[in-house]
Amino acid sequence: MKLKSLALATAAAMIAVPAIAEDLVLSIGSRGYGPAVERNLARYAEANPDINIEWNKVSDVPGETRKLYVTGLTAKSPTPDVYALDVIWAGEFAQRGWLEPLNGLLSDETIATFNPSLLSASTVDGEVHALPLYADGIHFFYRTDLLEKYGLDVPQTWEEVLAASEVIADGEKNPQFYGFVSMWAKIEGLFMNWLAFVNGNGGGMFDADGNLAVNQPANIEATQFMVDLLNEHRAAPDSILNMKPDDARTLFQQGRAAFLMVQDFVYAPLSADDSPVADKFDFTRVPYFEGHADANSTTMGGWFLGINPNSENKETAAKFLEFFTAYDQQLAAAIDDNRAPTIPAVYENPDMAGAEVLAKFGSNYDFGVVRPSAETGSKYPKVSEIMQLEITNALHQQKTVEEALNDAQTQIEAVLAE
Amino acid sequence: MTVRYSRLDQRRQAVAFGFVSPTLLVITLILVYPILQSIVLSFGDSSIDGSEPWRFVGLKHYATLAQDSRFWNSLWVTLTFTALSIPLELILGIALAVLMNEHFRGKGLARLAVLFPWALPTALNTLMWRWMYNTDYGLFNAVALQSGLADRPINWLGDETLAMMSMVIVSVWKTSSFMALIILAGLQSIPRELYEAGRMDGMSRWQEFREITLPLLRGPIMVALIVRSMDALRTFELPFNLTDGGPVTATESLSLYAYKVIFDFIDFNFGASIVVVQFLVIFAMSLLYIVTLQKKD
Repeated sequence: MKLKSLALATAAAMIAVPAIAEDLVLSIGSRGYGPAVERNLARYAEANPDINIEWNKVSDVPGETRKLYVTGLTAKSPTPDVYALDVIWAGEFAQRGWLEPLNGLLSDETIATFNPSLLSASTVDGEVHALPLYADGIHFFYRTDLLEKYGLDVPQTWEEVLAASEVIADGEKNPQFYGFVSMWAKIEGLFMNWLAFVNGNGGGMFDADGNLAVNQPANIEATQFMVDLLNEHRAAPDSILNMKPDDARTLFQQGRAAFLMVQDFVYAPLSADDSPVADKFDFTRVPYFEGHADANSTTMGGWFLGINPNSENKETAAKFLEFFTAYDQQLAAAIDDNRAPTIPAVYENPDMAGAEVLAKFGSNYDFGVVRPSAETGSKYPKVSEIMQLEITNALHQQKTVEEALNDAQTQIEAVLAE
Repeated sequence: MTVRYSRLDQRRQAVAFGFVSPTLLVITLILVYPILQSIVLSFGDSSIDGSEPWRFVGLKHYATLAQDSRFWNSLWVTLTFTALSIPLELILGIALAVLMNEHFRGKGLARLAVLFPWALPTALNTLMWRWMYNTDYGLFNAVALQSGLADRPINWLGDETLAMMSMVIVSVWKTSSFMALIILAGLQSIPRELYEAGRMDGMSRWQEFREITLPLLRGPIMVALIVRSMDALRTFELPFNLTDGGPVTATESLSLYAYKVIFDFIDFNFGASIVVVQFLVIFAMSLLYIVTLQKKD
């Protein structure tokens, strides 16, 4: 019977996952590490012609990829063998047993070449669970031609950004042209944005004694500035509240915004040959509030590579992981794609002198601030969600800034006390 | 009242049961088991990898739920969405069915066109609509700005009321045709003679519709209402793809909240308690419909 044989064939296809010993599945987005992924895979294929690597291109919006991973890892799926993870998940995933400890698979010398403070993010019980692939941060991109047209200096403080936005928007007289765009949708990027604003005002998640202080006065002031920027001064469009990084980048690239605040990766598309703003933009460090010039306002991020504990080819996966994160690959990614290396020795290479954009990213990282994933461990996703929700409440003016941050403080205290 | 069955009837019933049992078995496996599993999960604490065994905690998760303003919000969102979309779908569905039941040129094509939105997967539909709603590039704002109806872009999916309205519009657009399909089947089973008799008595078209069509459509309408209400009460792909529950939590349905608790916070037990409440709501709604339906018969 045709139907029966078809059903049997389907069932067989579902059960018989091709069990060729030397096949690996790699899950990583196509944007974050950019062209470096393709180059690394090509180099690896050349050196290991008998191993097939299947590139599973996952979303570059971290929250979406996380859901995918959680489903697969909970079900103990053997694939992907190697996967890229956000620095904020490293500790949590290691604690949950979703990352194979690397100390037995890689030599101590290999592991020791990496930046120790980055490694600490994935170290649980003295064991390293994932290797850092690249670091990034958020930067402030601006239109050089517009600043020149209106005789403005590059804004350093938020007060200057606001003033410049108003001058430019008034001058352009286009209802579809905006001053400031960024990723203010209810995503992780919003929390990163908020940290940049509050730290730029001398605030932060914690007070000087290390106690949780979401509702400290400096934070309330900075958050109020965000609310006013949007709702009172209208220096940002309403749609900023729906924007993910690429939405904001696209608007800026089309010439519809003067200022853009997102991560490193946008530099490549913005400067590409077909970009309308290719020779009309530059970037600087994230602004700060007047009187806080030394504030750490560059919210940092980064991505790691780890091995699925249920992988059927852990040894091969470990060798692949080592190759993918090795010195030579990081050097090429740094020089050609401006991706910040995680092996400090790469910076010493004489060829790095030509990597000016990366050097400029690096000087912004000097003002870096990390998210509180180390302090909150496996509770980080809940903490981040609470912050995203309450910041959104304030931005939508559903609550006053003070109410929103008080509520966030209470909820996070409860979560941390669990 | 007791019913006596003859031996023949009993044998017939046994045969019938034999035929139904494979289906019953499958339904038990894929429907009843997960429901029971959810109930068990909701009354305990356990770790997802099985390292900590399930432990009874009584009503702990339900107590948390009662205090959880986000849960009450999602329940309210779900009920509002259902209450707004179902009546609109019903009215539009009846109108479409009556139209499609008429004889006109290109009737086949029209029927196909009406069914098209329903045949497309919700996720796909929703993504298409999301682009049309997009504040900076979308069709609606392009039209609104160019025609001068708005002097600056309208943030369709970023405003609490507009977002809910937008969601209802997508739902009505997509599922009215499903209502129409069921009602059309009902329309075609109404005997022609009734209308002929009506015409002889001098009924107007409107009287025909009110006195003959509507009363005889009660059955199909009830079926359509039950199926669609159950669907609307567990709506997931629509808010997930259109707004992700935003702005803030203005369009966060029960299913979406449960999903976030389970997959973002990895809290299966608390998530299960939301699912159980949702199950009870849908169950109660279905009972209500069935009871009303039987009473009228």
